[in-house]
Amino acid sequence: MSLQPESNRQLIQQRLALFYIPVILVFLVLAARLWQLQILQGNEYALKAEQNRIRTIQVVAPRGTILDRYNHPLVENRPSFNILLYREAIKDDSGTTNFIIEKLGVRPEDLVARLRRNKSSGLYRPIVIKEDVGIDDISVVEAHKRDRPEIQLGPEPRRLYRYGSLAAHVLGYVGEISEDELLSNAFPDSKTGDLVGKSGVERMYNACMTGQDGRRQVLVDSLGREMGLLEEIDSAVGGELWLTIDLELQTVAESLLAGKVGAILAMDPRNGEILAMASAPSFDPNNFSTRISEQDWNLLINDPNRPLQNRSIQNSYSPGSVFKLVMAEAALEEGLVGENTRVHCGGAAMFYNRLFHCHIKQGHGSLDLQTAITKSCNIFFYEMGRRMGISKIAQHAHALGLGERTGIDLPGERNGVLPSPEWKMQTRGSKWFAGETISVAIGQGAVSTTPLQVLRAVSAIAMDGKFVTPHVLLRAERAQEDPAQWPVSRVSLDPDSAQMIRQGMWSSVNNWGTSHNAAIPGLDICGKTGTVQIISIENKKAVQRDPSLVEDHSWFTGFASRDNPEIAVVVFLEHGGRGGIAAAPLAKELFRTYFARKGRPELLTQLTGARNIGAR
Amino acid sequence: MKINRRLLMSFDWIWFFAVLALACVGLVAIWSTTEGTSLNSYFGRQALYLCLSLACFLIVLYFDYHVYSDFISFIYAAGLVVLGSVLFFGQSIHSNRSWLSVGPFAFQPSELMKVIVIVALAKYYAESEREHLELSELTIGGLIVLVPTVLVILQGDLGTAVTFLPVYLALSFLGGLKRKHVFVIVLAGVLAAPVGWMMLKDYQKGRIYTVLNPDNDPRHMGYQTIQSKIAIGSGKFLGKGFKQGTQGHLGFLPARHTDFVFSVLSEEKGFLGSISILALFLFVFLRLLRTARESKDKIGMLIVAGVFSLFIFHVTINLGMVVGLLPIAGIPLPLVSAGGSSLVTSFAAMGLCMNIKMRRYVN
Repeated sequence: MSLQPESNRQLIQQRLALFYIPVILVFLVLAARLWQLQILQGNEYALKAEQNRIRTIQVVAPRGTILDRYNHPLVENRPSFNILLYREAIKDDSGTTNFIIEKLGVRPEDLVARLRRNKSSGLYRPIVIKEDVGIDDISVVEAHKRDRPEIQLGPEPRRLYRYGSLAAHVLGYVGEISEDELLSNAFPDSKTGDLVGKSGVERMYNACMTGQDGRRQVLVDSLGREMGLLEEIDSAVGGELWLTIDLELQTVAESLLAGKVGAILAMDPRNGEILAMASAPSFDPNNFSTRISEQDWNLLINDPNRPLQNRSIQNSYSPGSVFKLVMAEAALEEGLVGENTRVHCGGAAMFYNRLFHCHIKQGHGSLDLQTAITKSCNIFFYEMGRRMGISKIAQHAHALGLGERTGIDLPGERNGVLPSPEWKMQTRGSKWFAGETISVAIGQGAVSTTPLQVLRAVSAIAMDGKFVTPHVLLRAERAQEDPAQWPVSRVSLDPDSAQMIRQGMWSSVNNWGTSHNAAIPGLDICGKTGTVQIISIENKKAVQRDPSLVEDHSWFTGFASRDNPEIAVVVFLEHGGRGGIAAAPLAKELFRTYFARKGRPELLTQLTGARNIGAR
Repeated sequence: MKINRRLLMSFDWIWFFAVLALACVGLVAIWSTTEGTSLNSYFGRQALYLCLSLACFLIVLYFDYHVYSDFISFIYAAGLVVLGSVLFFGQSIHSNRSWLSVGPFAFQPSELMKVIVIVALAKYYAESEREHLELSELTIGGLIVLVPTVLVILQGDLGTAVTFLPVYLALSFLGGLKRKHVFVIVLAGVLAAPVGWMMLKDYQKGRIYTVLNPDNDPRHMGYQTIQSKIAIGSGKFLGKGFKQGTQGHLGFLPARHTDFVFSVLSEEKGFLGSISILALFLFVFLRLLRTARESKDKIGMLIVAGVFSLFIFHVTINLGMVVGLLPIAGIPLPLVSAGGSSLVTSFAAMGLCMNIKMRRYVN
């Protein structure tokens, strides 16, 4: 370091001394200013701070509307008002509490529950104390705007299911996001208090339909009066959704199920688009669009008929004789039967030292495969089962999608059961008896399928083995992250074999087979009935107390037309009785509705007579 | 280098604790105002930065400050390279492209450059043999400051760029600015003011009008100033208490953990608290000035004076802004406001000055 000249050092010292001046000056000014603001004008500013309140008002975005395939709106939104409590504005706790309980009629225990639920959310976030209020409550709140600034109205769009319970199981319902859903991150972009889809399409395509919430930041004074708008971000409505559902067909399906327990499904076998999906009994999802009351909820979940259950996919049943279609396909593919193979039915036959019955005591005589399907002969298919063995049956049923989820875009689908020796060992820990194979051959025993699985298997037969994935989404305005895929594959099925099965099904409807109640003159409908014994005939007599519960389950499945399939149908009725009598006429109505619109209006005029059969 | 016992003895604990106290006060304010909000990550990060800053402080203290000044031309060049690279690889935060990502952290090289410029300029002026600075020396000194300033302006961070000006003026003045040059600069400043005024953007002009009459436009331009004054004033003598400040918690205060952190403190700690912070700053400034006067050589004196001028500029502009005496400018309160780069730089600068103070007798 070079030595500094003494004069320079002195100069620096002199000039450095000058630096004290700004320091002292700055600090004197700042100290004086703080004295002025905090001491002299402190009360004035304290008052201003007291009057200073920002309220952030959430503007809930409407969910996207849901339309049917022909643009008929099924689910829309309607405006509604909630009553909100701004906790930071509460002046005296007991006064506010009494007002809420007495004037607004909120039950004390409900209020406590709501306050507890929102304990963790920020103090400055309003909480909903009553939803979807009527004009009475609105006027009470408006009248007390001045003396109860902590209680305000908040608009919120609400789900409107235009046709009530129609297609409720497909559409689903919405509800407030639960704590479990928040923790499991089932809805990544949702927060406490948000409404999210809980079932059906509402749940499945929640992200597509959820809008972007907006907010309004307003300045309010200590009385809660709005003093000005700071910021406003508009909400953006969610994306629209078009379903494959056909409103007209769905309406007919629902009316056919009125007063019954069961499911009706219609699908386009060419592409898997679900045209109608009705399950009865049903529920009205409008009841869920507000936070449902505990009482209503208990009523729904304790109903022995389980109205929330979508019977077409969420429950499985013995397929009964409709399983014979699968048996026919398997036998043909395995080469066990040909066009000329005949089996004699004498009304009953011995298999593995046990006597098995046909449904006609005197028997069908000698019959081939087509006739066996037409007449739904048990003995013929017992024999097929015996020749094939359970493994082969399971293999072919599996290939046709039975006992396995179809992959439809609705939540909660069940697998059903496709029994095999391994399955029995695993679930029941016992050996498979050869006699069980005989029961399975006619769709009794342990085999159980959802109506949708049956529908898909029949569609594959109708389409020469084309194997579609059923779905209810036609298109979405806003696609979900991974675009929906509906894979199409093929079941190995020889076209001649398929033709043979179809011919048997055609005869069943049109040639005085078991499905003749589904016949419509001039339409080549193919079908197969099923009747599932719940209980053996001996026991039936013993259980006489509730005859309705021992009544057989009824099935009908079919498609039309034979040479150009465009609609496949399945009808299933719990304890409906014989399939040919209970289920087949309902399918007929569905076919009639569908084809009447397809340039066959004369079919509609025959409607009244058919209805009578259905009601019987 | 062995640590000299005498060196350790001359460590100024009171000064150190005053600096640490300011950082801790800032930490408490950040905790109070951000916990339970969307800003809640700031407290933990700031605590981490404080640890990092203390480490930095110790490292800077360890080597004789002449080591830094001897290598300053390399450090300065490296600093320019980093600053320039920000223009290409930098990240934009709040529309300023002045951040470099280092792992999970974003760092503002322009902050550290302030200290580098101080040492570089001090070194250049200190080596002048003459009593007064020649015009050529003033020009070269000006270039040392101007090049990084331009780079910072190019990053769009006008607030940081402006802070280089007082450093240049103070060091030139101390370094031996001729009397006639003082008048020229003052005159130039007076003449440049209207030109500068015309170059300001409309919102910047608005901020200046607002100081003159904040109630004119309370919802927009004057909003921040009014809310800050309400926050400070409503704290009255004792304050509303920890986490009780409604102005801060209700979101009336903008940038309450950074530029307006003093308002939060004043609201919650009252006049007693705000005047104490002021006293802590005053104490630090007086210590800096004393260190400058007592330092062993010209370079030490100039470095301390440079740090002093940087700090007093920041504190004056920031506090002037929050109490409504100066226009709104995005300049944080050193040591107190949330912000890692600023905190690390402040501690490094303090370490440098403590270094100079400790080695004033040692050869």
